[in-house]
Amino acid sequence: MNCRNQPQLQDRLAAEYALGTLRGRARSRLQRWMREDAALARAVAEWEARLGPLALAVRPVAPPARVWDAIRARVGSTPRAGLWDSLAFWRGLGLAASGAAAVLLAAVALISPQPPVPAPAPVVLKVPSTEMAAVYLAVLSDPKTNKPLLLVSAGRHSDQMQVRTLDPSIRVSGKDLELWALPAGKAPRSLGVLGDAERAMVKLASAADQSLADVPTLAISLEPKGGSPTGRATGPVLAVGPCIKFW
Amino acid sequence: MNQPAEPLASLLAACARRDRAAFERLYRETSPKLFGVALRILKREDWAEDVLQECYVRIWDHARDFRAGLAAPMTWMTSIVRNRCLDWLRRPKLEVIDEDGELIESAESDYPGPLAELEASADARALKKCLNALEAKQRQAIALAYFDGLSHAELAGHLREPLGTVKTWVRRGLLRLKSCLEAA
Repeated sequence: MNCRNQPQLQDRLAAEYALGTLRGRARSRLQRWMREDAALARAVAEWEARLGPLALAVRPVAPPARVWDAIRARVGSTPRAGLWDSLAFWRGLGLAASGAAAVLLAAVALISPQPPVPAPAPVVLKVPSTEMAAVYLAVLSDPKTNKPLLLVSAGRHSDQMQVRTLDPSIRVSGKDLELWALPAGKAPRSLGVLGDAERAMVKLASAADQSLADVPTLAISLEPKGGSPTGRATGPVLAVGPCIKFW
Repeated sequence: MNQPAEPLASLLAACARRDRAAFERLYRETSPKLFGVALRILKREDWAEDVLQECYVRIWDHARDFRAGLAAPMTWMTSIVRNRCLDWLRRPKLEVIDEDGELIESAESDYPGPLAELEASADARALKKCLNALEAKQRQAIALAYFDGLSHAELAGHLREPLGTVKTWVRRGLLRLKSCLEAA
């Protein structure tokens, strides 16, 4: 069936496409034609505009916060006044490094399926900061359940990043996990694809002090074997968490 | 559309310039409506969340393709979400009911409720008037297809009518709708 030069048929198909009743192969065929035929694309756009006000009649439902978390992780971070300044758990963590580090340790120690405590009491670390290991640390958690899934650490002057899988159920056979840096105000940057081992090593392009200094957040996405073919996260974000200087 | 068109168009323009703060405002402003649209079609919160996530990434990636003169911002974004939902429903095998029993409201549960709310703007009022001018069967078929993403075959099953009859209702209903809107 070819709808070109048949304005009535073309308009009918455009209407049914916009309404949503055109399905299966007819639908994918029309999507293909729309790319080549400006008149058809315009007819579809006109029908979408005609029917568009119907969408206003649908009852709005606020999506859960995790949806925005995942979107944000896929498009990169907001430089200022964004999610990471307002997220409840960020407030809970407290911006003081000692408080944050204490919560990280607590999260690692507990690895409990419960959501994290909303506002943990500040913990004063007894260890003098000079004796603390100079590492970057991140606990990456399921954005939906907040369950900690991976622990990432890298010595400040090292270009080796250790990744420990806390929950093996994050792995999906036939797919790979890819680790991303989400630098402030810039597009996400791949740090590498994780192997299947519970403990993996990811080689950074340079020492952590250079690679991670401007990276407030790390994330894990599910990708085809060998990693994202596009250089950007293509699959769902399975884990995300703040990356903190631990010294 | 009752959304403040100018601000949404400006937010999309800012997104095209890679302004992430504007993107977040756009999300805050529009996601409840678009999530509602996706939920209504997909009937499952987890699917609607996944689709919403994909669609906002797409909106961010394609913000520069938005042309304010060609479509209202909300119409443009709604089309992205509805089309993604319909493609999603094409996936090989769908369980209609979630194992966890998380099936949300069924197709007819608040029908024709939504139509009653179509008072928001001149466009919406004209559409409502023209929908009301249709025969009841035509109107019901079109509303079910739009709101709930039903295919011709699903409409036929839902309305307990032969497929050919339902297709005719939809086709004639759309034709009448168009001439009514053009006359308005």
